[in-house]
Amino acid sequence: SQGIIERDETTMEKEIAGLHRVDFEFSDIFYFCRKGFEAIVEDEVTQRFSSEELVSWNLLTRTNVNFHYVSLWLTVVWGVGVVVRYCFLLPLRFTLATIGITSMIVGTTVVGQLPNSSVKSYLSELVHLTCSRILVRALSGTIHYHNKENKPQKGGICVANHTSPIDAIILTNDGCYAMVGQVHGGLMGVIQRATVKACPHVWFERSEVKDRHLVTKRLREHVADKSKLPILIFPEGTCINNTSVMMFKKGSFEIGGTIYPVAIKYDPQFGDAFWNSSKYNIVSYLLRIMTSWAIVCDVWYMPPMVRKEGEDAVQFANRVRSAIAQQGGLTELPWDGGLKRAKVKDTFREEQQKNYSKMLVRNGSVG
Amino acid sequence: LGESTGLPLSALSHPTPVTSDQVEHLHRRFKQLSNDKPTIRKEHFDSIPDLEFNPIRCKIVQAFFDRRNLRQEEDGLVDEINFEDFLTIMSYFRPIEPNMDEEQLQRFRTDKIKFLFHMYDSDHDGIITLQEYRNVVEELLSGNPHLEKGAARSIADGAMLEAAQTCVGPMGPNQVYEGITFDDFLKVGSGGAVAGVLGAHSVAPCA
Repeated sequence: SQGIIERDETTMEKEIAGLHRVDFEFSDIFYFCRKGFEAIVEDEVTQRFSSEELVSWNLLTRTNVNFHYVSLWLTVVWGVGVVVRYCFLLPLRFTLATIGITSMIVGTTVVGQLPNSSVKSYLSELVHLTCSRILVRALSGTIHYHNKENKPQKGGICVANHTSPIDAIILTNDGCYAMVGQVHGGLMGVIQRATVKACPHVWFERSEVKDRHLVTKRLREHVADKSKLPILIFPEGTCINNTSVMMFKKGSFEIGGTIYPVAIKYDPQFGDAFWNSSKYNIVSYLLRIMTSWAIVCDVWYMPPMVRKEGEDAVQFANRVRSAIAQQGGLTELPWDGGLKRAKVKDTFREEQQKNYSKMLVRNGSVG
Repeated sequence: LGESTGLPLSALSHPTPVTSDQVEHLHRRFKQLSNDKPTIRKEHFDSIPDLEFNPIRCKIVQAFFDRRNLRQEEDGLVDEINFEDFLTIMSYFRPIEPNMDEEQLQRFRTDKIKFLFHMYDSDHDGIITLQEYRNVVEELLSGNPHLEKGAARSIADGAMLEAAQTCVGPMGPNQVYEGITFDDFLKVGSGGAVAGVLGAHSVAPCA
């Protein structure tokens, strides 16, 4: 980074050992002081919750944080871009999106009236697929699917990294899934309530303990039944800005069954797909998406994974996460996506304190 | 079109040899921490996960609000700081530039050591007493459940004793060692190492 402080990667042990040989000294505080300042100037986690910065400008002021006037010619080009995007692309996309969403709501409600049967399932799949495709067109989405032979099978659990609500549409564009996700209000809530009538999606309230058990129960039933649609889950639990993969919540990995990992990587050059839910609500987010140039992304279907002997849920989750991160070219962070909203657990801080004091004691300073 | 930092470098009341790029970077960071408000309060530092790791987190955050570090005449703590104050504190961590002369270098080092002195001296009386020193050591070691309660204290006491011997020389049986003054701190704190850890040995990467 272009930091004012040159971020030093030496370990705590080496650095403090370099300062003195034995005994606690005044100097020890300096190491932590510096680390603290490095964190204040720039920390790894918060970086992931704001949009990726582009190396070269793509004529969208929103992606250029350092925006300032460069030249008249560039401004003119940018101005033309604005006109094209807002006056031409936006109305087109908006119309398509309206058609898509309305069809989805109406279609699934109608299909939902039918009694459960194979006809209903077939029609539900048809409605979902068609509407997804309309919606992807509405966003000018260009999606490259890789390794289609690994597409998630029935009775499996599909797991992917999460960047925006569009992820679901990107995947349902190519196949049908039973979705698992947080209940939302507003337009999203309406869509959720309509679609759940036609297809057994699982929408839950995260804070409801009862709901969490319901999800686990549903997942277990699901995995046992090979005729059910694959379940789609985003184990990070929140939207990350597509440069890294955060901790996977272990719930989905405790069930057993076959996991089909999928990596989604958006090309930020054409439009920023990341939804910063603390900054924008869903409607303004969609507006930003629809006034970008396009949504271009790569989807990699990866070979199925199962839990190994002696592997616990957390290790399994990390293994899957590594595979996804590697495929998508994303970095892995040991942090919990929940940090977007909550504070770090005390256990982390205690860890660091423990390390330091262990080192001190080892150096023979006690007694 | 365009946005500026809203803060011309010349407005800063004391010389801060940082590049305008670095100032912009820090300004963005400031806005991020303050949620786009003009001032930061202590609570705003809660949103930095990496900082949570740090055992002396409280002292570090407090350093930002310490009037002495902000080069103000009065004593005590302020409630909130603006971007200029933020830059002032950040400037204590500037690396040494190769073209500094001897006098600048000396002043630089002294400033940094003073900053750390203030961190120990929590009651702002200019002396680090035994109790204040104990507080710091305890904070640093607080996370380890295996360390007995007395251990932190004995470490602190040992270090203070050594400091006393270095600064005052052998003391008589009735002499009381008040505490470490700033001059003593300069002697004990192995100045070179101090400045080193604070980044004085690395050259500023003007990327």
